[in-house]
Amino acid sequence: MTMLEVHDLTRTFGDRRAVDGVSFQAPGGMLTGFVGSNGAGKTTTMRMMMGVLSITSGEVRFGGAPVTRADRRSFGYMPEERGLYPKQPAIDQLVYLARLRGIPAATARTEAMEHLDRLGLAERAKDHVEKLSLGNQQRVQITAALMGRPRALILDEPFSGLDPAAVDGMVDLLREHTARGVPVLFSSHQLDLVERLCERLVILRAGNVVADGTPTELQQAGTVRHRLVLDSDAGWVRGVPGVHAVDVDGPTALVELADDATTQRLLATAMERGQVHELSPVRPSLAQIYREVTA
Amino acid sequence: MTTLTQSPSNAPVQDPPDDGTRGAWLLVAQREIVTRVMNKAFVIGLLVSLVVIGLLAAFFTWQSSRVDTYTVAVAGTDATAVGSVTGAAELAEAENGSTELELLEVADDDAARAALSTGDADVWLHPGDGGWVLAGEGQPDGTVSRLVGTAVEQQVLAANAEAAGTSMDALSEGAALTTEALDPQAMGEDTVFFATFALSFLFFAGAIGSGMMIASSVVEEKQSRLVEIIATAVPLRQLLAGKILGSSVIAVGQNLLFAAVGLVAVAASPISIALPALSTSLIWFVVFFTVGFLALAALYAVAGALASRSEDLQYTSTPMTMLVMGVYFLTFSASGTFQTVLSYIPVANVVAMPARVLSGETTWWEPVVSLLILGAFAVLALLVSERAFRGALMQTGGRVSWKQALRAEA
Repeated sequence: MTMLEVHDLTRTFGDRRAVDGVSFQAPGGMLTGFVGSNGAGKTTTMRMMMGVLSITSGEVRFGGAPVTRADRRSFGYMPEERGLYPKQPAIDQLVYLARLRGIPAATARTEAMEHLDRLGLAERAKDHVEKLSLGNQQRVQITAALMGRPRALILDEPFSGLDPAAVDGMVDLLREHTARGVPVLFSSHQLDLVERLCERLVILRAGNVVADGTPTELQQAGTVRHRLVLDSDAGWVRGVPGVHAVDVDGPTALVELADDATTQRLLATAMERGQVHELSPVRPSLAQIYREVTA
Repeated sequence: MTTLTQSPSNAPVQDPPDDGTRGAWLLVAQREIVTRVMNKAFVIGLLVSLVVIGLLAAFFTWQSSRVDTYTVAVAGTDATAVGSVTGAAELAEAENGSTELELLEVADDDAARAALSTGDADVWLHPGDGGWVLAGEGQPDGTVSRLVGTAVEQQVLAANAEAAGTSMDALSEGAALTTEALDPQAMGEDTVFFATFALSFLFFAGAIGSGMMIASSVVEEKQSRLVEIIATAVPLRQLLAGKILGSSVIAVGQNLLFAAVGLVAVAASPISIALPALSTSLIWFVVFFTVGFLALAALYAVAGALASRSEDLQYTSTPMTMLVMGVYFLTFSASGTFQTVLSYIPVANVVAMPARVLSGETTWWEPVVSLLILGAFAVLALLVSERAFRGALMQTGGRVSWKQALRAEA
């Protein structure tokens, strides 16, 4: 398992620090989601990791050592706002890009045809890319990144503009690579997707990492709330010391509790007043966590 | 580990001694050439140009080998008139054979006028007040007037000489003017002018066409971010080298093709005597163009890298377009000292020096020195362009200036 990691990575544009001391790990064999609002520094970080943009300070490590040019040459990369050569057949550009990475022409052709075949694009391999639908163009782009058994994958918004079925198809492809022990780092705006797919998650805000871990770790680290369901109006919980009522709706209240003692006190009070149907912890969704840490 | 300075491994795509990317520039060049040759617009443009060159050559050949026949009407059997027409016909034949005169003898003046109006005769030669008149339906053709005029003069002078008791030969003794070409291969001024114009145009079309080709191929990759994928695979220097090589092969190949068609056309034409001198000049031109285009291609590649979308190209390529157009206009009209100066200034010397070679006014070392100057310029242009290219290519969002590009680290 080869780990891809960044240490204290910083990039300034003039006076602006676009990425400010970012450190995180993308372990081999896992899908790591890279989340953050527009301008948080995701693309800048990924471009520095690929060596497309020079690093102001900090470093990128691969397999425990500073990343080399040869390492990067073996990485699969999808830049943001990408395209292809519009007037060249799909198969030709896949072979060209693979050959630039040192893959022999015959091998590249065979592999590209296999990929296109799987994506149902085999008979369109000789069509100019501009004649393919946007979704199919995106499939060709990801194929370009997956050619030649890459040793790591860095994908900037790989799923943007794809329908759910196409996303599932792509995820299956990516899983084949994590199964080989390859680290896969991808950025996305679609939190539900990241929550469903990723083994790890890195959240960036204004050039800083504000959360980093497995989805479960992040949920546990987030503020735990409790739901209380009574047989009568629950408005009185607002007056209990140590209880912060987030929302009260008739007999149901969503509360944040200061400590365990508060929990017991709230339960005892509720039972004195009538029947208690439910008192249960509510795990925050990633969307909630995201809103909390990026607020 | 925090390092304030950049560790080498984290530097942007730099060039290691060898990591299996050494042949990448050939791959890039190959793609540039194949893409260009498969491009319908390019192929159609090339074919149209070849057809135009062929048609022009055919037209000039036809034009210069065409024989115009004029019929001169003479009334009665006036010995002087008949003799003048015969004499004029001999003069015409002696000149270059492109004009022929025929004699039409008619009964009287009315018949001559009738012949003019029906078109049976083109002109009518008859005596007038104290001389001779050459009449046409409109103004008679200039060449015919000159030929007939000379012949009439000779006839009349001969008659006058005889009357004065001497002879034409005695009168005109020592007055003959003959022309002689010391170097039979030396060009006529017209030929030099047209050949220079053709060289200027070949330069202009080749430089603009292939220059814009490399610029748009660079911006296409920049706009689609393909360049980011390519940059992680091969050093940008190799990408630039491949693109310059590819577009140079196209540009030089295209000019060789045009030159070959042009030479074949010249060989088939009456000015085929100029062929050896034209060939020498064309060989120089191809050598100069090859070196000069390397520099232009590098500069055009930067124009592509400075743009962020293809729409920006017309702005970023303006300096190069002005340069090429300037060279075009200056070189085809230049002469004398100005042309001599131009023949040493890159990139005007690409046209000006071969043009001077053509007019035969250069000694052997002049094109050599000029070529060395051009070579030095090309090396300089390549070095500067390589830096600007790497500096500009990864900058996204808006046009980049030369200054920003040269200052940028990456």
